[in-house]
Amino acid sequence: MTFWIELVATGLITGGIYALVALGLNLQYGLMRVMNISHGEFLMLGAYLTWLAHTVFGVDPVAFLPVVAILLFVLGLAVYRLCFQRIVRTSPSVEVIEARSLLIGFGLMYLVQNAAYLAWGADMRGYSYLSDPVQIAGARFAGNSLLAFGFAMVASLSMLALLRWTMLGKAVRAMMQSPAGAQLVGIDTRVLHPAVFGLGLALAGVAGALLSMIYEITPGMGEPYTVTALIVITLGGLGSAAGCLAGGLLLGLVEAFGMHFTSPSLKMLLSYGVFIGVLLARPKGLFAR
Amino acid sequence: MNWTSAIKAIAAALSAAMLAPALAQDSPVRIGYAIARTGPWSAGAQVSQEPNYIMWAEQVNAAGGLSVKGKKRKVELIGFDDRSEAETMVRTYEKLMTSDKVDLILPPWGTGANFAVMPLVQKHGYPMLAPTATGRKLLEMKNPYFFALLQQPDRMMDALAEYLAARSIKTVAFIHVDELFGLEQASALEKSLKAKNIQIIEKKSYPLGVKDLQPVLNDIKAKNPDAFISLSYPPDTFLVTGQAKAIGFNPKVFYAAVGTAFPVYRDKMGPMAEGVMGLGTWNPKMSPQAKAYFDAHVARWKKEPDRWASAHAWAGLQILQQSVEKVGLDRKALRDHIASAEFDTVIGKIRFRNGENISTPGVVSQWSGGEFEVVWPPQNATGPSLFPKPAWK
Repeated sequence: MTFWIELVATGLITGGIYALVALGLNLQYGLMRVMNISHGEFLMLGAYLTWLAHTVFGVDPVAFLPVVAILLFVLGLAVYRLCFQRIVRTSPSVEVIEARSLLIGFGLMYLVQNAAYLAWGADMRGYSYLSDPVQIAGARFAGNSLLAFGFAMVASLSMLALLRWTMLGKAVRAMMQSPAGAQLVGIDTRVLHPAVFGLGLALAGVAGALLSMIYEITPGMGEPYTVTALIVITLGGLGSAAGCLAGGLLLGLVEAFGMHFTSPSLKMLLSYGVFIGVLLARPKGLFAR
Repeated sequence: MNWTSAIKAIAAALSAAMLAPALAQDSPVRIGYAIARTGPWSAGAQVSQEPNYIMWAEQVNAAGGLSVKGKKRKVELIGFDDRSEAETMVRTYEKLMTSDKVDLILPPWGTGANFAVMPLVQKHGYPMLAPTATGRKLLEMKNPYFFALLQQPDRMMDALAEYLAARSIKTVAFIHVDELFGLEQASALEKSLKAKNIQIIEKKSYPLGVKDLQPVLNDIKAKNPDAFISLSYPPDTFLVTGQAKAIGFNPKVFYAAVGTAFPVYRDKMGPMAEGVMGLGTWNPKMSPQAKAYFDAHVARWKKEPDRWASAHAWAGLQILQQSVEKVGLDRKALRDHIASAEFDTVIGKIRFRNGENISTPGVVSQWSGGEFEVVWPPQNATGPSLFPKPAWK
């Protein structure tokens, strides 16, 4: 029995990390169709800020999480103002926003990544934090992974509640469904749009901060995470908070079971197999409406 | 005489006058290379390789220059970022060799990149001393201009098996990355263990870029092997260490191949590193020369060199320097000299046979009290080995 609990829990925790990585992009691309392909680079930035704060100034990484969130939020507003505002205002449809923002995202990706190479060099960096095991129902996990999992759960559920039950959430959804209609009923899209983008970047930064406690970091670490994030939100259904969580957890479970019953080398095959299977059955993702 | 020829004559006289002093002072020795400054290869290249190139050129120039058959000439490095792309790397070397016509080249980073550039090296006859390429496949190409400074997989795995046999280890479980490096190490390990009658009770492969190996480690833990060996690359080396501690898997020997020799392993793992073994060659306690190299590296770069390939890179530069001093810049003569002579380097004497460094022994290293101690072979040991591995801290 312990064995099964262990296997399921391992899968869920890895899945939680996948969901965590996807949270920010789900807001930007899932809800707003801003295809921010530099998502992983901002995640990397969050990781480096945390590493810097911890190793140079001795700041506790968990205490630093709100700081990362605020810094990345402000950076998000600036990036939005400089790069995406014009596109969003001048594009005739969301499809055009998607295509144009993709190009900008690529530019940002190179810019941010190379800035990190210049600032910190190509060396791997890392620090040890919360690596002691925690025992749950006979299974043991590293504290830092559990923390990342916990944050992914809380953030996903809050997002779900926010979008579904609050006025703010309704306003965000209205803005996506019909920008002109939203303005007509008094929603200030000029404030809301950049704020949601900034929140997406803040979530990417926090995800990076949490990942820096578990994995080593390099300036090039972001790209694979962008791919993971895209798979997770497509699997779950664009813009769906529940879908993002479910998509991540599903991938984690498939990997854990696949690793035990077949070989770890088949990981890619299994993950993409599930991805293709879901898209064949539900082309808009698990939780799409 | 018309105007055109008059101007030509004046121009010729002027340029001769201007060039004369330049010729009197010898032109620098131009040494070209392409290496990863960005992209996935850069983490390794910027730890083990390029910092050594730059530091060497600076040291040589500070001492008056590179001695070419006794005549001092400055060194000019011409380095490019290959962006971790094999095509970019090969094109850059082709340009360096054919259009820039550099005097010498230094190798790119990694087994794959060295493999890709080998045909060019042979075609244009540039000797290449590779500090980060390992694998019999490269040597089997019998390229007369290619010299591998790292120990080959069989040599390293033989040393590991000898260490395990000396400690009466009976059972081993191992995992390996599903890629040329991991496959070659794995087959070498299987052969070495078989020769020592050590039983392999589990072996699994995994893909590059894996983010979780806990289910595999749990399965292996249940089988309770005496030794666990992970033929892994840096990210996976970090991953298995953290997850083995998390699940409380603490075999008598815990070995992880690449990345354990990096100082960042100690920094990232903290007290967890204690007792972990891996691929290594040296540390500053090995000899006064090694200590001097270590100190110079720390002073110049504010970071420690890694305990495996860094010193091999430095040794390669020393070999090049000693050979140029002896035979000059004729590349054929250089190749013949490198292939036949014995050199005194930071990691000890080095001699090549068919491109393989046959002097540096296979080594097992282990983190102990903040240093990656050489623990095998006994005659090279810089410290006692921690056996069995202490509990995870």
